[in-house]
Amino acid sequence: MKKSFRFYIALWGAKAGTVLLKLLRRNATFFPGRFALKICPDFMGRIDKPKTILAVTGTNGKTTVCNMIEDTLKENGIDFIDNKYGSNIDAGVATTLISGASLLGKAKKDLAVIEVDERSAPKIYPYLTPTYLACTNLFRDSIMRNAHTEFIAEILTKYIPKDTTLVLNGDDLIVSTLAPENKRMYFGIERQEFDEDQRESLTRDFIVCPKCNTKLVYDFVRYNHIGRAHCPKCDFKSPEIDYAVTNIDLEKKKMTLKTHEGEEVYDLISDNIINIYNMLTVITMLKQIGLTFEQINGGLKKQEIVDTRFSEDEVEGVKIITHLAKGMNPIACSRAFDYVRKYKGNKAVILFLDDLHVAAHDSENIAWQYDADYEFLNDDSIKQIIIGGVRYLDSYVRLQLAGIDPKKIVHQRDELSALDKLKLDGIDTVFILHDLYSIELKDATKNKVEIMIRSRVAQKEGQVEK
Amino acid sequence: MKVEILYPEFCNLFGDMFNMKYLKKCLPEAEFVETLLDETPKFVSEEVNLVYLGPMTEKTQEKVIARLLPHKAKIEELIEKNVVFLFTGNAIEVLGKYIENEDGSKIEAVGIFDVYAKRDMMHRHNSYFIGTYDGIEIVGFKSQFTMLYGDNSNCYFAEVEKGIGINTESKLEGIKKNNFIGTYLLGPFLILNPLFTKKLMIMMGKENPELALRDDVVTAYNVRLKELKKI
Repeated sequence: MKKSFRFYIALWGAKAGTVLLKLLRRNATFFPGRFALKICPDFMGRIDKPKTILAVTGTNGKTTVCNMIEDTLKENGIDFIDNKYGSNIDAGVATTLISGASLLGKAKKDLAVIEVDERSAPKIYPYLTPTYLACTNLFRDSIMRNAHTEFIAEILTKYIPKDTTLVLNGDDLIVSTLAPENKRMYFGIERQEFDEDQRESLTRDFIVCPKCNTKLVYDFVRYNHIGRAHCPKCDFKSPEIDYAVTNIDLEKKKMTLKTHEGEEVYDLISDNIINIYNMLTVITMLKQIGLTFEQINGGLKKQEIVDTRFSEDEVEGVKIITHLAKGMNPIACSRAFDYVRKYKGNKAVILFLDDLHVAAHDSENIAWQYDADYEFLNDDSIKQIIIGGVRYLDSYVRLQLAGIDPKKIVHQRDELSALDKLKLDGIDTVFILHDLYSIELKDATKNKVEIMIRSRVAQKEGQVEK
Repeated sequence: MKVEILYPEFCNLFGDMFNMKYLKKCLPEAEFVETLLDETPKFVSEEVNLVYLGPMTEKTQEKVIARLLPHKAKIEELIEKNVVFLFTGNAIEVLGKYIENEDGSKIEAVGIFDVYAKRDMMHRHNSYFIGTYDGIEIVGFKSQFTMLYGDNSNCYFAEVEKGIGINTESKLEGIKKNNFIGTYLLGPFLILNPLFTKKLMIMMGKENPELALRDDVVTAYNVRLKELKKI
């Protein structure tokens, strides 16, 4: 598309707006793009883009994957633009392209890392062709926005540009059947020892063969529809994996990756399977732009999962783990619940999963709670569950329907007051599972739990001295 | 007492199967049978007290229509005999005349009710709901790509107090004919509406029904009702 007069007006206005917002010490991560798109709706099609665009989409993990790609690139001194501090919808992507362009609309850098909201595909892909597009997974997400996985998969298939090479999770049959005409490669994790300790998930959204409608046979299920399957009637099956994790050694914190070129052993930065998938996505993407094992592993092993998503501390011998469990996103919650269940030792779990934006002026549709595997919290090693927030009564019902003894559950409207009932005797780890918009609450909760642990120890020591 | 759940492997998009799990807790003595998509519905040859169908994807709607179409006469007969049906979310559309796509193409449906649905896949409607059915205040949520059109003034499920009826212009929600109830409200509808659940059990023939987790679900219902009225 040619640059029109309208385009330049939009670009210069957005650039001026960016300067103004910065002078006012406001974030210029969304509004410049929104302004540009308002003035020139096909603005993204007219602005020059970096030669190589790495885009990441999917229900869960896309922010983490982008963060990890960006940190690894920085570690290796590679320059790029990204929408890390902007939104992942059209206005956020446009803002990123504006910040990465000169006053004439020329791209200043050769590489872009762009996180793309999957629902925004119709507004972004007609104007932006990622060189490589990774899809981490496709799961049930916000009912209100994303409806169901079939809808999301259909819009992705319809709008992903034909020239984009896809980097797909081959263990996710919804993902691996996206945009079948496009050039593609698959990453995946072979069946591991820990896969034996799986409980049936409530939902599985890929159950029949897309070719002949026969019920699929799952060779193994890791969770929900993640696993390997084949059709007993025709030749449909999970794809051959190009980048396969063959072994995960959680003790040594290593994973072995087998590619067409051979084997490489990477350092794990997390023992959580969802983060191992995220790492694998990062590795596969970075290999496409020519980074070596040393460059990728060297960059990755210095990283940590960001504190707002996961943190682990120890206070007087008791661990406190905070874990993001996005409310209204049932699979993200289920994965967090499963992680808690499998974590060694006795646990107390604090659940603050209400969407605080919705809670402020609306009434949350709690249907997602019934797609989330609260049943995973019904485990002998979980001694207490504390729930608070506007939806505490709904969560109390849901936990009971998961078969959890109500005596184990503390439910109270005020979150921090509910913590007063936390029982620390015999507890090795306190888990705080929180929503994306509850970071302040998460921090306050963590502080209060730390104080409770310390005062308990001080009390015990006082008793000994007496 | 027998409850038939139609096509649970597909028609379970928004936690809807917990309607049946909760009902099972309320009716521990009842038999709950699941009919998969490639099976013949039990209601064709067996006596059932409730037939449940939950929301489904647009592609699944076509499959379900194909499965139910051969049993149209039987469904009509059972509705006349006051057998209880509960269809939630977009399930009601499969029993209408047709479903119309944005391009004007039509998918012929089973044709039991004189209504039709229109899809608008890029505009999802979301709303909360308060309405009244038989003196019971019904609460819930709608989240859908379709609206239903046609005259339901003689066969509606609930009068709308807040929210929309079968379409944005309508104040009459759902379809009710004898003991057939179809509503666009989705998710854990029976858990959210304990008073209605009790009524449903009476319709199914249960004497003096008891609600599972009664105090907790009723408290949650009262809080939600108050909250929704305030918005």
